[in-house]
Amino acid sequence: MRSWRDLDRTLGRQGRKNDLLLLLCCFFSVLLITAYVTMMRSPTVLTVLPEGGDSRKQVMMIFVLAVIGCGAFTTYASGLYFRAKSRQTGILMALGASRRQLRRMLYRDVGFISLSACAAGALLGTPLAWGLWQLFRLFVVDTEQMRLTLDPQAYLFALAFSLFVVAMVFLMARRFLRRTNIIDIVNEARRSEPIREVKSWYGRVGILLMVLGGFLGYMAPGFFVTRLHWYPPEGLTAIFYAPLFAGLYMVLLHTVVNGWRRGRSRYHNLVPNSMMKFQGRQTVRNMLVITVLLAGAYFAAFYAPMLGVGNALSIEERPVDYAYHYRSDQNVPREAEVRTLAKERGVTITSWAEAPMARLGVDGADQVETEGPLGTTWEEVYLTLQRSELFLSESAWNTLTGDTLDLVPGTVSGVFDRDGNGNGVFTDQISLVTNVVTGKTLSVRAAEGQKNDMLFGRFILDDGDYAAITEGLPETWREEMVFFNVENCEDTYYFAKALFYEIVDRSGEEVEVYDAWDPVVRQRNIAEEGYYFLDPEYLAQSGFTTIDYGQRDSSEFRNYWAYMPHFRVLDQNDFVRTMAVFLMLFIFIALICFAAVLVISYTRSLTVALTGRQMYEDLGRLGASRNYLRETARSQISRVFFTPSLVGTAAIYALYTMILYFNGDPAGWTSGELAGMTACLLVVAAGSGMLYGFYRFTRRKVYTMLGI
Amino acid sequence: MLYVENLKKSYMVGGQPVPVLKGVSLQLAQGEFAAVMGPSGSGKTTLLNCISCYIAADSGQITLGGEKLADLGEEALAKVRSRKLGFVFQDFMLLDGLTVRDNILLPRIIAGGVDDEGERYADQLCEAFGIGHIKGKYPAEISGGEKQRCAVARALINHPLLILADEPTGNLDSKSSRTVIETFLQARRELGATIFMVTHDSFAASFCDRVILLQDGTVSDQLSRGGDSRGAFQDRLLRAIREMSGGDSDAVLA
Repeated sequence: MRSWRDLDRTLGRQGRKNDLLLLLCCFFSVLLITAYVTMMRSPTVLTVLPEGGDSRKQVMMIFVLAVIGCGAFTTYASGLYFRAKSRQTGILMALGASRRQLRRMLYRDVGFISLSACAAGALLGTPLAWGLWQLFRLFVVDTEQMRLTLDPQAYLFALAFSLFVVAMVFLMARRFLRRTNIIDIVNEARRSEPIREVKSWYGRVGILLMVLGGFLGYMAPGFFVTRLHWYPPEGLTAIFYAPLFAGLYMVLLHTVVNGWRRGRSRYHNLVPNSMMKFQGRQTVRNMLVITVLLAGAYFAAFYAPMLGVGNALSIEERPVDYAYHYRSDQNVPREAEVRTLAKERGVTITSWAEAPMARLGVDGADQVETEGPLGTTWEEVYLTLQRSELFLSESAWNTLTGDTLDLVPGTVSGVFDRDGNGNGVFTDQISLVTNVVTGKTLSVRAAEGQKNDMLFGRFILDDGDYAAITEGLPETWREEMVFFNVENCEDTYYFAKALFYEIVDRSGEEVEVYDAWDPVVRQRNIAEEGYYFLDPEYLAQSGFTTIDYGQRDSSEFRNYWAYMPHFRVLDQNDFVRTMAVFLMLFIFIALICFAAVLVISYTRSLTVALTGRQMYEDLGRLGASRNYLRETARSQISRVFFTPSLVGTAAIYALYTMILYFNGDPAGWTSGELAGMTACLLVVAAGSGMLYGFYRFTRRKVYTMLGI
Repeated sequence: MLYVENLKKSYMVGGQPVPVLKGVSLQLAQGEFAAVMGPSGSGKTTLLNCISCYIAADSGQITLGGEKLADLGEEALAKVRSRKLGFVFQDFMLLDGLTVRDNILLPRIIAGGVDDEGERYADQLCEAFGIGHIKGKYPAEISGGEKQRCAVARALINHPLLILADEPTGNLDSKSSRTVIETFLQARRELGATIFMVTHDSFAASFCDRVILLQDGTVSDQLSRGGDSRGAFQDRLLRAIREMSGGDSDAVLA
C-alpha cells in the first residue's frame, strides 16, 4: 500500500458491511415510498377514490406517516454509518489528513451509496408495486378495474424523496467533517446519549394526552364545520392530533427510561435497562417511528375486514332477496317479464311486492359557502324548495314491508337504516312538501321514524296526503319499488346477474345518473350558476365518478348508479370484485407499512448487537453464563419489538373504536361495526403473530452475531 | 524547538466556562525526552491536545520549529500534524483493517505517498523495534506492547520534529511498558527524536530528561534528571508528587 488511493481502496473493503447497511436502508426506504406513491398516483386507484373523500385522505395520511417514518429511518441509518466511520476518520485526521482529503473520500463513498440505493429503489419500486398487484390479481381477485395503469408523475414524488435521502446523507457527511474537535470524532463511536431524568408521571400523562389528542383530532373537523360554520384549510385540524404524538413520545420515553413495573428487583434487568437508557434518544425515536408505521399498517389492514364483515352482515340481514326501483317512464322488466326470466333460469319466486313512490320537493336549509383567506365559511339559508326526496304512501310502505303503519294526516315519517341510524340524511326536519310540477304544497310535521335498509332515506306520508300531493305528477317524477324473494337465493346468481344486466340495458340515458343527482337542486343550480355539477357531462370535472352503462360491472357504476338494484346474491358474490381496487389498495398499503416496521425493527435490533458487542464480551469475562447473556440480549430486543407493537396496536385499535362510535347518528356501535371490530381483532392477532415470529428470527440472528 | 507561552484553555460546562489551562508556559529542546505529570483534571491531556492542534487554545502561543501554530489555517495545521508531529496514543489508534506495516506507513501516505525509501525506512523501524516478524499481521492479531511499538514506529515514519505521546503505557503491563519506553529512548538515541509524553506512571517518567508537574492548569514544578540514576530520579519524582498532593502520592496518581 503506497498511496492515498490504495489506502482508500483498503479501507473501503474493510467498511463494506457499514456501507451495505446504509445502502440497504436507503434502498429500502426509497423502494417502499416509490411503490406506495406508484399505487397512490395510479389512475386505477384514483378513479375509485373520490377526490376529497375519506378513503383518499386516509391513503394520503398513511403516506405522510410512511414518508416521515422512512425519512427518520434513513436519517438514523446515516447516523449509524457516520458513527461507525468516526474512529477511522478521527485517526486519519489526528495523523494529519486534511479535511479536503477526507471530504473527497467520504463524499465519493456516500455519493455512490446514496445515489445507487436511491436509483435502485426508485427503479424497482414500481415493479414491486406492479408485481404485488399482479399477485393480488392472480390469487385474490381480478377484474377489469384491477388493470393497473401508472402515472409517470409518481416518479416525481419518488425523485423528491430520493433527493431528500441524498441531500440528508450529504448534509450529515458535511456536518460530520466540519466538527473541529478531533478527539470528539475519535470518541464518537463510544459516545452515549443519556436521556435526562424522566419523571414518573410521564407515562400516565402520556396516555392521557394520547386519548385527548385522538379525541380532539377526530372531533375537531366536525366542530369547525357544524359549530363554527367553517371549513378550515386542509391540515389545520390535523394540529389537534398533536397531543397524541406528544403523549406517544412521553409513553415511550417513560417505558425506556423508567419502565412500568414497580416493586421488582431493580437488579433483575439492570444491564438491559442501562443499555436502553444510554442509547436514549435514538431508541425512543426509533420506537416512535415503528409505533406510527405499525399504527398505519393496522389502520390500512382494518379496512378490508371492516368493510367485508360489515357489508356481509348488512347484505345478510336485508329483509328481501331482491330489490330494485326504476323511474316509471323506463322500460325495465316488470313482474311478468321477471317471472318469465326466473322460470327460464329455474328460479322460483316465492313472494312479490311492488309499490309506487313519488319524487317531491322538500324545504330545508341550504349551505351558502363563502371563500375567504382562512378557508370556506358557510351559513344556512332556508329554502321552501331545497331538494327532492322519494316519498311512499303508508299503504305502499305496508305493501313492501308487511307492516301496518297508519300515519296521522299532516305527518311525515323518515326511514332510517336497521340500526336506526340516519347517517346524516335527516339532519334537518321537513316541514313543507311540494309537488314540483303542479306547485301544490303540503305542510307536514315529523312523525316517528321507521327502520328499513332497503327503503333507507325515503319518507312516508299518510295515504290521503300522498294522493293529494302527487296528483298531476308525471311519470318522470314517479318511481316503482319492487321487492321479491326467491327459493334458494344463494343458487340464483346467474338469474340475478341476467336481471341486473336487463335492467341496465333497458334503462334510458336520462337515468344514467349519479345517485345524488337531484332534479330540484339541478333546476336551482342551472338558474343560479348555469350548470349542474352532477349532470353527466360535468361529473368528471367536478371530481365525481362518471356513470356509464358500458361499465356496468365496475365498482364506480355499482356503487354510485342512482338506480342500482340490490340483489342479495349478486352483492354477496360480487362484493370482492366490486370493491377489489379499494380492498387491494389498503392491503397493499398495510403490506408496505408492515414491511417498513420489520426492516426498521430488524436494523435496530442488529444495532443493539453491534453496539453492545464489547459489553457482552466483558460480561462473559466477568463470568456471565450463556443464559444470562441471552436473557440480556432478549430483554433489549424484545423492547424494540414489543413496546412499539403494544402501544401502536392498542392506540390504533382504540382510535378506530372511537371513530366507529362517533361516526353514526346517534353515536354508538352498530352490529356490523361490532362484527367488523371482532374481525379486526383477528387481524391484530395475525399481525402480532407475524411480528412475534419475526422477533424470534431476529433474536436468533442477534445471538449468532454476539456468539452467545 | 517547542515553545508554549501563557497557554489558556476553558471548557463550557453547563453554560459556564471552566478554565483547564490557566497560563501554561514551557519549552522543549531538540532531542529532549520530557514528561508531563499531574493529578486527574490538572490539564495534561488538554495541554497535549492543544500542542497536537486537535483543539484550539483560547489564548497563548505555541511555536513549533519556529512556526507559530495559532496563525495557521486548517489545511496548514493538518500539514503540521502530518509532517512535523508524530503521535502515540494510550489506546494505540491503529486502523484495524491495515497491517502493522501499512499502519506504520499511514502518515507517509497521508503526506503524499510512499516511495521505496519510505518502505525501506518502515522495514528498518520494524526491525529496530522488534516487530519485523509481525509486520504483515493485523492489529487484532498482536499484543498490546507490539501495538504500541507499532504506534511509535508510525510516529517516527515522517521524521517529525516532535513525538507527542498520551499515556503510551496506560494500557500496558510493566514488561510491555518498559519495552515501549526503551523504544522511545532508542528513537531519541538513534534517530534524534524529541519526545513529549503525558503520563501517570512515575516509572515511565523516570526515564525522561525532565518532568514537568502540572497542577490546576499551571506548571507547579519542573524536575531535571541531571546525573541521577533512574531509580533515584523516580524517588525524587515520587517525593515531589507527594508534596504537591499534600502527602498522598497514590491519591494523586491513581
